[in-house]
Formats: sequence, C-alpha cells, structure tokens
Amino acid sequence: MDINDKTIDALRASLNFRQMRQKIIASNVANAETPSYKAKKVDFEQALQRALNLDEKQTLNVEDGRHYDVGGGGFDNLTPEIYEASDGVVKENGNTVDKEAEMAEMLDNNILYNASVQLLNKKLGLLKYAIAADK
Amino acid sequence: MDLLTSLKISSSGLAANRKRMAAISSNIANAQTTKTVEGGPYRPKEVVFGAEPARESFADILEGEINEHAQEVHATEVISSNRPPILKYEPNHPDADEKGYVAYPDINVMKEMAEMIEASRSYEANISALNTSKNMALKGLEIGK
Repeated sequence: MDINDKTIDALRASLNFRQMRQKIIASNVANAETPSYKAKKVDFEQALQRALNLDEKQTLNVEDGRHYDVGGGGFDNLTPEIYEASDGVVKENGNTVDKEAEMAEMLDNNILYNASVQLLNKKLGLLKYAIAADK
Repeated sequence: MDLLTSLKISSSGLAANRKRMAAISSNIANAQTTKTVEGGPYRPKEVVFGAEPARESFADILEGEINEHAQEVHATEVISSNRPPILKYEPNHPDADEKGYVAYPDINVMKEMAEMIEASRSYEANISALNTSKNMALKGLEIGK
C-alpha cells in the first residue's frame, strides 16, 4: 500500500482550500460597507471532485520522457475558482456583501474544516496503528 | 500563511470600524458646538472605507490571484462634510451674528445613533470572523496528535 494515498492528498487539498475560503470570507466581512466592493466567492468542490475521480491514476501514462503528461498532476494542479458573486443584492453604494450569508458560509466552512482535520487524524491514527501492529 | 492573512484582514476591519465609531461619537458630542478652532460651527465628520489587497510579503504577491482577491479594509479618509449649518435665531447667544442668528452644525443625532449601531454590528461580525480564523488555525495544530 502506498502510504501517501488519495485520502491524505484530498484532505490536504480540502484544508488548503478551506483556509483560502476563510480568507475570502474574512475579506468580504471586513469590506461589508466599503463602497463599490463586490463580494467574492471561492469554488473548489468541483475541481476536487474531478481530481478524486481520476481513480488512482493521476496522469495519463507516458511511454517516453519527451511525451507530455496530459491531465497532469491530479491534486497538485488544483486551482480554485475565485469570482465575484453575481447573485447578491446591490446596496446603494455599489456593495454586494450579504453579511448574514457570509456568516453562515463561514460557520459551514469552519465545521467542514474541523471535519477534515478529524478525518486526517483518523487516517494518520490508522497508519500509526498499522505501523505499531507487531509490537 | 493563509490563516494569518485572514486574521490581518479581520483586524483591519476592526480598526476601520473603530475609526468610524470615533467619528460618530465626535459628531454626537459636538452636535451643538457653535465655535471651533477653524472658526464657525463644528463640521460633521464622515469616514470613507476603501479596499486594499492584503499582501504581506513578496512571496504573497508571487502566490498570485488569491491575495489579489482577499482585501483588507481601511478607513482611507475622514471628510469634514460641507453640509450648510442650521441657523437659529438666538440674539443673546455669544456666537450670534449681527442679525442674531447662531449657526449650529447639521447633525441628525438619530442618524448618528443608527450608524453607531451599524458600526458596532460590523465590529462584532469582524470579531466573529477573527475567532473562526483563530479556531481553524488552532485546530490545524491538532493534526497528527
């Protein structure tokens, strides 16, 4: 078994992206009254899903060193999508931050972050258990 | 690091709202002030917020897009508003002009109070974002325990 398997990669990516999302939400909350500031969003679920669906094989097979590996890198090349949310209500000063929605999303993000940390700990616990099994 | 930038962004929000609070309390305290150092009645203060990219270091700039999008807030300027003063007829007032009118600043205390509540709520929202970032960072330290 490969110690560095897909679970750990996926959890690592998820932790990174949730930290990014927290940063963007903090920015939205801080700028909730800044004139003409547009609320931003981070989308990574789809990219992560795609990387997970690559099913063990993270790149196409290359037979020769000079070939390009198409689809490259699985988890390494994940990039989140950052865009200006278009569904917000525009206030009279051109600001589109919905503070309540941001707070809700922050809670959601925080809970899932904690869940990822717990899962990662369980996974590492399993590895530790396996390593110490013959003792 | 990502979460440290989040903390920085939230604290910029706290500072900006504190500045705004200072302007509001100054306006309320001076709602009846007819004499100032610059001469004339007190001029109401307004704080303008502006967004700036949260960049900590050169490495952050290299990191690119995400740091362009995560923006701090700064109280960029404090404007003394040019709203014309309200004239009241009080001939016995020491600051009355030759016709007996006294110029009072045009400050609506109700509006200032409403804005104060708004500033206070924004402050709380930033505190709660700050706490969440802190908890995430602390939770991250538990990995592998």
